[in-house]
Amino acid sequence: MKRKSILLLSLALIAVLAVALFAVACGGTEATTTTAAAPATTGTTAAPATDTTGAPTTATTVANAAPLKIGTSLPLTGGKSVPGSAAKQGYEVWQDMINTAGGLLGRPVELVIKDDASDQNTIVADYNALIAQDKVDLLLGTFSSLLVLPSSAVAEKNNMVYVTPTGASPKIYERGFTKTFMSQQALAPDAGKVFANYIANLPADQRPKTAAYPTMDDPFTAPVIEGIKAIFTAAGIKNVYEVTYPEGTTDFDSIVNAIKSANPDVVVHGAIFEDGVAIVRGMLKAGFKPAWLFQTTAPSTGDQYAQAIGPENTEGILYHMSHSQKANTPGNAEFVKRYYEMFPEAKDLPEDVADAYAAGQVLAAAVTAVGSLDQDAIANWLHANPVETILGPLSWDAKGIPQGEFMIAQWQKGLTEIVLPENVATAPIIAGWKPGTPVPPK
Amino acid sequence: MFVQTLILGILVGGVYALLASGLTVIFGVMRIINIAQGAFIIMGGFITYTAWKRLGLDPLIVVVISMIAMYVIGWAIYFVAVRPVRRAPVTTSVLLTFGLAFFLEGVMGFIWGNNSVTVRPSYVDTSLHLGQFYLPQNLLYGFILAIVIMAALQLIFTRTWLGRSIRAAASSEDAARLVGVKISAVAAVTFALGAASAGAGGAIVSLMGPFVPGSQILWITRLLSIVVLGGLGSVPGAVIAALILGVGEALMSTYVSPLWSPALSIFLIFFILAVRPQGILGTKLREDVAQ
Amino acid sequence: MSAGTPGPAGPGRVTPGPVAKGSGTTTARRLSRRALLLPVGVVCILIAILPVLTGNQYYQNMVIISLVIAVGAVGLNIITGFAGYPSLAQGAFLGVGAYTAAIGSVKIGGSPFYWMVLAGIVAGFMAFLLGLLSLRTRGFSFAIITVSFLLLTRIIVQNWRGLTNGSDGITLPLPYWDRAYMNWPFHFALVALLILSLLLAWRIRRTKFGVGLIAMREDEDKAGAVGVNSPTYKLVGFVCSAVFVGMAGAVYGYYLTFVDPIGMLGLLFSVQIILAVLLGGKGTIWGPVLGAFIIEPLNEVANNQLGGGNIRLVIFGGGLVLVVLLLPQGIIPTLRKKITLYQERKHPGLTGARIELCERPMPAVRPELSPVNILEVRDLNKRFGGLQAVNGCSFGVPEGSITGLIGPNGSGKTTVFNIITGMMKADSGEVYLDGKRIDGLSPWNRAHLGLARTFQITRLFGEMTVLENLVAPLRDFSVGQLNRTAMTGAEAAKAEELLALVGMTAYRDRPCSALSYGQRKLVELAQVLALEPRVILLDEPAGGINPTLIERLGELIVELNGSGKTFLIVEHNMPFVMGLCNPIRVLARGATICEGSPEHVQQDQCVLEAYLGGDYAVEPKGEAVA
Repeated sequence: MKRKSILLLSLALIAVLAVALFAVACGGTEATTTTAAAPATTGTTAAPATDTTGAPTTATTVANAAPLKIGTSLPLTGGKSVPGSAAKQGYEVWQDMINTAGGLLGRPVELVIKDDASDQNTIVADYNALIAQDKVDLLLGTFSSLLVLPSSAVAEKNNMVYVTPTGASPKIYERGFTKTFMSQQALAPDAGKVFANYIANLPADQRPKTAAYPTMDDPFTAPVIEGIKAIFTAAGIKNVYEVTYPEGTTDFDSIVNAIKSANPDVVVHGAIFEDGVAIVRGMLKAGFKPAWLFQTTAPSTGDQYAQAIGPENTEGILYHMSHSQKANTPGNAEFVKRYYEMFPEAKDLPEDVADAYAAGQVLAAAVTAVGSLDQDAIANWLHANPVETILGPLSWDAKGIPQGEFMIAQWQKGLTEIVLPENVATAPIIAGWKPGTPVPPK
Repeated sequence: MFVQTLILGILVGGVYALLASGLTVIFGVMRIINIAQGAFIIMGGFITYTAWKRLGLDPLIVVVISMIAMYVIGWAIYFVAVRPVRRAPVTTSVLLTFGLAFFLEGVMGFIWGNNSVTVRPSYVDTSLHLGQFYLPQNLLYGFILAIVIMAALQLIFTRTWLGRSIRAAASSEDAARLVGVKISAVAAVTFALGAASAGAGGAIVSLMGPFVPGSQILWITRLLSIVVLGGLGSVPGAVIAALILGVGEALMSTYVSPLWSPALSIFLIFFILAVRPQGILGTKLREDVAQ
Repeated sequence: MSAGTPGPAGPGRVTPGPVAKGSGTTTARRLSRRALLLPVGVVCILIAILPVLTGNQYYQNMVIISLVIAVGAVGLNIITGFAGYPSLAQGAFLGVGAYTAAIGSVKIGGSPFYWMVLAGIVAGFMAFLLGLLSLRTRGFSFAIITVSFLLLTRIIVQNWRGLTNGSDGITLPLPYWDRAYMNWPFHFALVALLILSLLLAWRIRRTKFGVGLIAMREDEDKAGAVGVNSPTYKLVGFVCSAVFVGMAGAVYGYYLTFVDPIGMLGLLFSVQIILAVLLGGKGTIWGPVLGAFIIEPLNEVANNQLGGGNIRLVIFGGGLVLVVLLLPQGIIPTLRKKITLYQERKHPGLTGARIELCERPMPAVRPELSPVNILEVRDLNKRFGGLQAVNGCSFGVPEGSITGLIGPNGSGKTTVFNIITGMMKADSGEVYLDGKRIDGLSPWNRAHLGLARTFQITRLFGEMTVLENLVAPLRDFSVGQLNRTAMTGAEAAKAEELLALVGMTAYRDRPCSALSYGQRKLVELAQVLALEPRVILLDEPAGGINPTLIERLGELIVELNGSGKTFLIVEHNMPFVMGLCNPIRVLARGATICEGSPEHVQQDQCVLEAYLGGDYAVEPKGEAVA
């Protein structure tokens, strides 16, 4: 009997594996490839290219030097896998471009990317492994404040610089760490500031009178909404409904129903992704259309978002954005071009890709400026100097808090445009959310 | 707002009822708590998604495909993993199916990835409007489908020889054997039917909102509270309990806070098991309740 | 058979005072055990002093997490391994401990290490609460309640922002000591906690408390019937399982410098802990530790070599399935079993040995029937759904008598027994023992008052030896008693006396699962005698055994009755009953229809009708039957 069970069990396992292989081979949708400690591409032997200082370098010297190992752990599976995978793409584009330009300190960059499955305990183990086992020379950060909090502690304990593309929760920077830096323009409470000020400064007849604030219980989204709410309330916009829901909520119809009953003019939603989609769809189902709709994160994921809520329903949705494809910032055009070359099936460029790329830029700038891998020197340099990135200039205070301002973007005609601040806008802002607007073919 | 909340709760409750009925039937016949039922549901959802995405079929039609696929998968899982522990104490099967649930979650992650998926046929964002109230069409179709499938299951149980065998086996295995019922086959079919109903439920769930493999744990806690509240083994009890939970969650989400909605099913579990362990309509399980 | 896992190899044996009998390979066994212990001991010491040996963060991290899981698993073993209650809430105690230390450290001050003790106390308190909530549940319901408890704890922590910072989590300051010794305090604190947990588990196993827990695992109702106060044991067991785990949680939280609801109160941690217990061997002392040190490296391999997320789920989910199916006993018991089988392969078992019949002095004369009823039931009623099983039943059992209780099948005899002993509650009616009402008392309290009972289908604690079974019954209960040694020399001697009385001396060290039906009946009788009861209820003692044994049993009953014990016997074997019992009560359809001496009952019209039906023509002994 036991032997039979073992036999059956093995057969079942083989069957499962066969099905899995079959599904993956037939292009299983969004199947993540196993990555873990598989080293990414090393230096390319392309034609000599110019590096950032304009002097041509030969590829052969780069290829011959010992690789510079840079380690990171990303949530490639689990609840945060959507932005985690995007960050991985960003790092890979950065690695490709910096190696083409001659590497870092004359050495080809090798990425060591681990998957922490969106789990805090795992990410601590991963970063410990990166430092002790893989013996990486430099670290790069991860996605989501919840993961940045413990992993940056590991870095700080080991006296290594931690440049992270995300981690906008203020709590990260209140611990007295000296080596944590975020490569976006500002922290969460200020993420929606430009949008909030715009609305608050509208003439009284155009300004919305009431607002609702649904948000996920998340260390990033909640402060963003709080920041906007503070500005709105000070401007006299009445708070008619607010709600916080836990991660993992699947049924949003009741929440939407409550929002609809409060009938706000503007809905300010602190979303990650699934919930952002669900509330938009819920509002459509309920036949409720607020005059203005602002969401965090979800609208920045590009085509995934458009497909999920329907491209015709995206018209006019506003969100904060750290990156614009059309911005005239250093290296941006080349970055965008290279991204679409490396990932031809991508229909849009998610923000997380750009933030990860910027993190790489920041680290590279500091290392190049200091000329060595001295972590203290790198940290001191970053505290004292701004870095030009594809997001614009980034600089940090003594705590590692970035000192810039986010842009505000909007979906228009199936594309995303920067609308605020006006000096970097690529299109004028549309007044409000207009679902059901047909999208012209691209 | 109150009536609309009730409407939403009832529609959702109907779907919950279908999902819970599979779990309670498996228990009634086999005395096995299938913790992997949530994973079966999500798997049904993913199958629906793939069929919809690749073949362009409407999810309501894919329900049939999903049911058949999950029936087969359930049958296979039964023979490999569940049959050896069928006569073991309940706790053994709890641990086994618990492990199975996580195993399936990992497998689903391999096959379909961990990005959330949505199924969006044309009617998914529209509602039927009755006066000032609206019934979201996806929920409405789901509700109707749930009723149809539960009625079909009930017909199978009462009118067919297979159904009678299942009920006989649930009552007394030895007596059923004596009158010619092949217990091993009946047990396998019951488990497979439970998986099939989860497959149907999964098709409906895929319409309701985005999901990932990790959603299975959220669903199973909800289902367990329904099954415990309604009484283990009782399908009518599960229906009543599902409606109570659906409405309860909607009310809690609207009037208290969505942060406490997941706690509702947990409070129910505590309360029922402490006060009336056999639930509303169920039979007392001697092993798990002190006399 | 009890609802335990099969197999003769049970948890570590309790060695009694007198020299252990049995097969002659004891010395060989001791030697081989020592040979095995030496390398194991060396490995343990190496792991314990790991940070001194290597500064490699990766391995240090792996060992620290293994230690956390090990402490959790050793604690869980008390409630799941010993007592048999599958708890999935262990992660909750870890998280609660972490949060207590973090909150105390951040809001009030001081290193989390100082808050460790409070963390343990809070965890113990939560375990107590969980025990109260789950007091009446077992098996599946219990598992569900523990999972729900874990999820509820997480929701509460997430929503109670004022205290816990909600989903943001609490960040702790970095360690302020030299980086060269970064992990030393964590590592050694956890090693100390593990040692303390092991000592606690070892101590429990050797006390009456541990034996009681194991009895509960084997057959909880039977344990109650022999005087084990199971609810109290459950609560104490729960608290014991959580205290050190809470302290370990405090250390672990500080190690991560970040506690948040999702990380600290996740379900996967609990799954890993219970898998560690099952894999290593539940009910053993070292099994959970072994399991933990297999699970955590597996975790690391899954993360680093095999690609993270989904692989972990497949490995741990699938691992749990495989362990339940293929290795249900766990590694250590399976190994032990194999070794024992191998060592005893040339020694024949004791099956087929005849019972020792020794001459016992018979009492000269049967004692006078006392007019006082030592046991009395009045107006008992019990309904099961539509069936009225007991219908206004009343009768008394005179002190010092051997009273028979007969009646056709389905007349409610066993139900009445269950009501008398407390395993079932009557809908109405009263039960009196020695003039005092006992129908409100729990089964173990009735056992303490001197009421004992055997079962129609014998119930013994299968995993324990015959001797251990005889020492398990408890004549009273007090909290201090929990710490008493499981088996003192005096108790063992007394048990051996009882064994000699029933003629089962040769089977002293055999596990009860290996006995035949008749042998079990004898052991069960000896077991209840260990309670020194005043009233013994025998449920079909002569059922299913051979005539010689029946005769022997009758002699035993008479002898015991001569020394003052009252018997109430349910039987179908008429010659046995008529020859032994006086008076006799007849039950039919849930009520007493006749009482009196055997001769009177044999001729009573109502009795004949109840057994044979009204239209059955019987050879009358002088009376015509219509």
